[in-house]
Amino acid sequence: METIIMAEDLSKTYIMGEVEVRALKEANFELMEGELVVVLGPSGSGKSTLLNIIGGMDKPTGGRLYYKGRPLHEADQRQLTLYRRNEVGFVFQFYNLMPNLTALENINLSVQIAQNPLSAEKLLEQVGLADRADHFPSQLSGGEQQRVALARALAKNPKMLLCDEPTGALDYSTSIQVLSLLKSFCDMYSKTVVIITHNTAIAQMAHRIFYLKDGRLERIEKNENPLPPEKVTW
Amino acid sequence: MLFRKMIRDIRENRGAYLACMVIITLGLMIFTAFSTMAGTLQTSQQSFYEGQNFADGFAQVQAIPKDEISKLEDVEGIKEIQGRLVKEVMVYAPESKENIYLRLVSVENDAQNPINEPLLKTGFPLEDNLLNIWVDNQFFEANNYSLNDEIEVIASGRKHKLSISGVASSPEFVYALRTGADLFPTPETFGIAFMPLTSMEKLFPDQKAYNDIVFTLRPGADFEKVKTELEIKLKPYGLESLISRDEQTSHLLLSEELKGLVSMSKIMPIVFLTIAAVIMYITLKRLIEQQRIQIGILKAEGYTTQEIMLHYMSYAVIIGLVGGILGVISGGILSYPLSSIFQVFFNLPGLEGRFSPSLAISGIILAVSFSLLAGFQGSRNVLALQPAEAMRPPAPVQGKRVLLERIGIIWKRLTVQQMMAVRNMSRNKGRSFFIFLGMMVCFAISSFTWSMNDMIQKMMYDQYEKVEVYDVKLSLARPMEEKSVVRELAAFPGVSRVEAMAEIPVTLKHKWHEKDVVILGLPENCSLYNILDDEYNKLAPPKNGLLISERLAKLLDAEPGTRLTVETAMRADDKDGTLQVLGIIPQYSGTNAYMEIGSLQDFLRQRGLITSAMLKINKIDIPSLREKYVHTDVISSIDERSQRLEKFKDMMGSYGSMIYIYAMISVVIGFAIIYSSSIITLSERSRELASMMVLGMTPQEVLSVVTFEQWCLALPAMLLGIPLARVLLIGMSSAMSTDMYTIPERITLTALLLAFLVTTLSVWLAQKVAARKIRTLSLVEVLKARE
Repeated sequence: METIIMAEDLSKTYIMGEVEVRALKEANFELMEGELVVVLGPSGSGKSTLLNIIGGMDKPTGGRLYYKGRPLHEADQRQLTLYRRNEVGFVFQFYNLMPNLTALENINLSVQIAQNPLSAEKLLEQVGLADRADHFPSQLSGGEQQRVALARALAKNPKMLLCDEPTGALDYSTSIQVLSLLKSFCDMYSKTVVIITHNTAIAQMAHRIFYLKDGRLERIEKNENPLPPEKVTW
Repeated sequence: MLFRKMIRDIRENRGAYLACMVIITLGLMIFTAFSTMAGTLQTSQQSFYEGQNFADGFAQVQAIPKDEISKLEDVEGIKEIQGRLVKEVMVYAPESKENIYLRLVSVENDAQNPINEPLLKTGFPLEDNLLNIWVDNQFFEANNYSLNDEIEVIASGRKHKLSISGVASSPEFVYALRTGADLFPTPETFGIAFMPLTSMEKLFPDQKAYNDIVFTLRPGADFEKVKTELEIKLKPYGLESLISRDEQTSHLLLSEELKGLVSMSKIMPIVFLTIAAVIMYITLKRLIEQQRIQIGILKAEGYTTQEIMLHYMSYAVIIGLVGGILGVISGGILSYPLSSIFQVFFNLPGLEGRFSPSLAISGIILAVSFSLLAGFQGSRNVLALQPAEAMRPPAPVQGKRVLLERIGIIWKRLTVQQMMAVRNMSRNKGRSFFIFLGMMVCFAISSFTWSMNDMIQKMMYDQYEKVEVYDVKLSLARPMEEKSVVRELAAFPGVSRVEAMAEIPVTLKHKWHEKDVVILGLPENCSLYNILDDEYNKLAPPKNGLLISERLAKLLDAEPGTRLTVETAMRADDKDGTLQVLGIIPQYSGTNAYMEIGSLQDFLRQRGLITSAMLKINKIDIPSLREKYVHTDVISSIDERSQRLEKFKDMMGSYGSMIYIYAMISVVIGFAIIYSSSIITLSERSRELASMMVLGMTPQEVLSVVTFEQWCLALPAMLLGIPLARVLLIGMSSAMSTDMYTIPERITLTALLLAFLVTTLSVWLAQKVAARKIRTLSLVEVLKARE
């Protein structure tokens, strides 16, 4: 497996007024192609900060970060935009769909800017929402919205899928649906998937688990036998 | 504590609040400055009129013996009636390029309660029999005279030295125009001089009678009745005109200006305050939506709804108060330079800027009440919120299909961003409409302003470049015989063409309409004065009828074929005749009727009579022409076309600055509306915009959603702005058109282009700001917070 992300002493310090918040402290890790990583940690442990930095939404204040050997810590805004555009797909807890675009149009929003996009219709079919293509987000349930968001993130055909609490706002069975989809995409298209959660159960499906606490990457655990999502319970 | 929250909130949204405040300030500034001006103009006018016993009626006759005047007092309704001698003389000033005229008005020292008594500002009383005068202060100042200076004038073909013994002003000449063709006073070249009657008679030994009559009316007297009776009594003395105070040029222009000021001081602030109120309303409503969780907490803590509403209304009141105070102060300051501009036009004592506390207070109350209303409307939603409900996020935005989607051909061509933009327009219809209105108003005001500018330019340019194309016009002191005049002038060196002109004052009547105008008699093959139709085709003056101007046709309800009754003192047999209207022509400067000169002379039973001559002459020969004729008593004035054009250009200079002010105002309004709406839109959609950035869209691509929406509104707004501008122009034109000039009601292409530029620029500027906001949008922050 090829390494796509390499982080060395990655740190992030926010200056909030007169207080210095060290959100991430000298993290060292790698992400491999096609692997599913779950990042666990209590609130405020730096999970989102880590994900934002990997996703090019935020810049580290210390250390180095390479994407396929390209230094992301030196990238400017324009380069980061291109990086997000071509290499990364995001899925959020609250979906962040465009309220005045239909399900299909939301996916097409991604298709339009991608270099090598997947078919929006086909993705919608794969997430099981072909019949909801013309519905607006306000006409969809939370799980349906999250599936559209997932399809939108995938439509660009990115190398990495970064998910910030993707099931945080969903009930159990809907969560399992979404997780299964994530897993199958990870396998089918050989994508790297990073899932942030404080639901430890989800870690059972990961190849590797990152434990974050107080801004520090305490340990990385390898899961020799990842469970299929359908078997995960909580 | 809540006060601090308010100050911080305002600081956060300072763009929108600042826009509000600027508009309120502008509105209040106009309110204060214009109301102050209207107030001082009104009071100065009143006290001046009363103090100097301003006449209610004015009559001009050829000559009326002095002892006949007192008999006219018997006419019912007349309170006082007085005769005068009014004569225009040319100032002998060989070094001056322009002709300088002085209108001499006789005064009688022993008169009881004199009408139009000049108000002496500095100097000494006038002495009978001496060649001493009081001159009007504007002429005095413009020519840098000092007391006891002598002005050399030419009267009855002789030079006389008049000594200035005082500076005075009269209600009759508050707005002093020499002829009806002048648009504005030129104190450098035209002044009023008051002179004892006995002294004036020395200048004009032939004139043993009055030629001018002024009278006042008893309270409640009907001018029309007095006029009818006076007309009969004055007819034997060669009555030339009889007008009421309302028709008197100076009074007319002063009252028009007052009316304009008063309506400006009322309408403009209302427009500005309404715009500010709408922006405030939108901003507050948005703020309350954004802070619903905070409101929920406040309510849960036990704050009453009233307290919370008061808190939000205090935002509006603070903005209104600050804007109001700034506006009132700047308006008070502005009234000083404004009054000095008015002093240039109006010679009124006591005309000065001032700071009126009562006006200031009412201005601030006005601003605050508009703000309160906006604040109340904007924060009303707080009332409905229940604490528990308030802390839940609002229901998600409903996506909706729009009409355009039915038109597949267009819809399919749009990118997804463009689809978003189109649907966004219907998302908040009220706001979209407001933006649309703002753009439309911005476009309409600027195209209207520029059109006015273009039209006035065109009107004057046409008049001096296309219509009156002579180099010099000599006006005769009294009608003379055509052949001898033409023969003499044609022989003058440098003169290549002479054309005669007869300017005959008449009263035209049709049905119950009547109008005093001048018929211009011109040679059939006239080339120095062109009568033009709509398409600039030259028309020959007709032989057996009249061409009349559009305005005259409207006033007389006449059309081609109508027979008009023509009354004139210049007809030899003194009978009324009729003339047929043969055509109607546009005429922007003046209100005239035209006829072939020979036929006009026949109609008047006065073969060969002319009143002026137009010359084509080499420029270098003009000074010697003037030198020769300036001394004679047969020539009353020598007009150079180039001088008139020059004067006009001067005036356009000052009008031009007004244009820039209006254009600035329209840009400020347009920009404020577009800017404040777009920053509100941005803050409302920051989450969506951030999501798009996360998807990997560039700031430009994200901005395109906002800009596409704005252009979708801007283009139809500008299109609809064209008819709105036309409506404004027609309104303005009918309000401003007088017998002296008619403003064409056409919107010019350049005006449209300029308005397009101005509007586009405002939109573009607002988008620049939006672009900056998008670039600095913190993705992490925006997406972290749940709305």
